[in-house]
Amino acid sequence: MPCKCDGTCETTLIYACSGAANTGLLADQVMRILSRNKVGSSTCLAAMGADLSGFLESARNATRNIVLDGCKVSCGKRIFEKNGLAYQHYVMTDYDVEKGKTPITGDLTEAVAERIEGLVKA
Amino acid sequence: MKVQILGSGCPKCKLLEQHAREAVAELGVDAEIVKVTNTDDIMEMGVMMTPALAIDGEVKSVGKVLTKDQVASYLKVVKFHAL
Repeated sequence: MPCKCDGTCETTLIYACSGAANTGLLADQVMRILSRNKVGSSTCLAAMGADLSGFLESARNATRNIVLDGCKVSCGKRIFEKNGLAYQHYVMTDYDVEKGKTPITGDLTEAVAERIEGLVKA
Repeated sequence: MKVQILGSGCPKCKLLEQHAREAVAELGVDAEIVKVTNTDDIMEMGVMMTPALAIDGEVKSVGKVLTKDQVASYLKVVKFHAL
């Protein structure tokens, strides 16, 4: 649901890698938990990569953009840097998750989301 | 040219629409002004804060009530590129 505040309230947007590996799955699931917990509104990283104007303008006018990358390749970070946009960056492999190996369970997803939520709110 | 005003129909959206109409009239451009009020349609365009302004499907501004002059500046650029 779009915010109707005319830019007067805080707007946090959350973007996740949805890459092919387990880490992409984790990033996506963490984004959904953060959105559920009202940390921010989830939106589409692929659309940012495709340079879709509405998504870019929303990111430009958000109070805070949270980028959840799966691995160190950091595609999300690169998209934001390419567009000169400010962001906070979290990488799933920084949370004891090994790309291509660690099974993504509900407990793991909740634990990583809780840690990132704490960092965002700090 | 198609000028889209994206928003639920709140007072700020109406003010942006008014400014857009004034800018179109002042510049004398051939433009159709269309209101997009459906939330799904707004979200599909990637707009997370309203009101927003799009010209020919390209979102120019999000979460702001642009002034008449600001709208006019966007219209001039699009008009120039169309020549």
